[in-house]
Amino acid sequence: MNKHTKMAFVVAPFLAIFGFIGADLYEENKADDNKIVQLVPEGHCDITNKSCVLLSGEFKINVSDEAGVTEVNSTFPLDSATLFLVDKSDKMTPYPLGMKKSPYYWRSNTPLGGLLANQVDSYKLRLIIKIKGGQYIGEFYTQTVQ
Amino acid sequence: MEENKEAYWQENLRLIFICLAIWFVVSFGLGLLLVEPLNEFRLGGYKLGFWFAQQGSIYSFLGLIFWYGTKMNKLDKKYHAES
Repeated sequence: MNKHTKMAFVVAPFLAIFGFIGADLYEENKADDNKIVQLVPEGHCDITNKSCVLLSGEFKINVSDEAGVTEVNSTFPLDSATLFLVDKSDKMTPYPLGMKKSPYYWRSNTPLGGLLANQVDSYKLRLIIKIKGGQYIGEFYTQTVQ
Repeated sequence: MEENKEAYWQENLRLIFICLAIWFVVSFGLGLLLVEPLNEFRLGGYKLGFWFAQQGSIYSFLGLIFWYGTKMNKLDKKYHAES
């Protein structure tokens, strides 16, 4: 190994570090751009039976309801989450969800349990989630099947 | 003698700039800026853009080190600058 190869081996890690810092800055800058992404339900959505998953690429949101508490569980940490109950006249009632132990779990008391108590009851929901400045928005129906 | 030193240094600089350009294209260009279109293709089961960011760029850097060493060796011989 000649002196130039040795010198290149010494310099290479510094270039790798500069590359890492540059890539990190670029990605952080890109993530700060406000973007809106749509969440789509994966199959049938039934939150009372804990069978409601919203998808956007590798990002997954699980929505469930038990004993008057609606919970959202995500694959990535969230900055905030708000659930909207939309009635038949398209009037929205917002329910800002509070963090439960970690930013992967968010919950709030909602009247959904009562509204979906019977089989085939359905309700329109909207979910707005914020992650690092970007917004994920999902509009879907939940329907009790059992 | 001075002219030789100047020519040696200029050729060395040229090699360094080529290395830096390849370093930039491979790490930032293929691993970040063009990652989405490259991810349409696959290499060894991995998305190509992801592969470049994770492994391909490192292989390229190693290749660059040895390429630079070999080229500089030739340059040393050409200008009798082994010492």
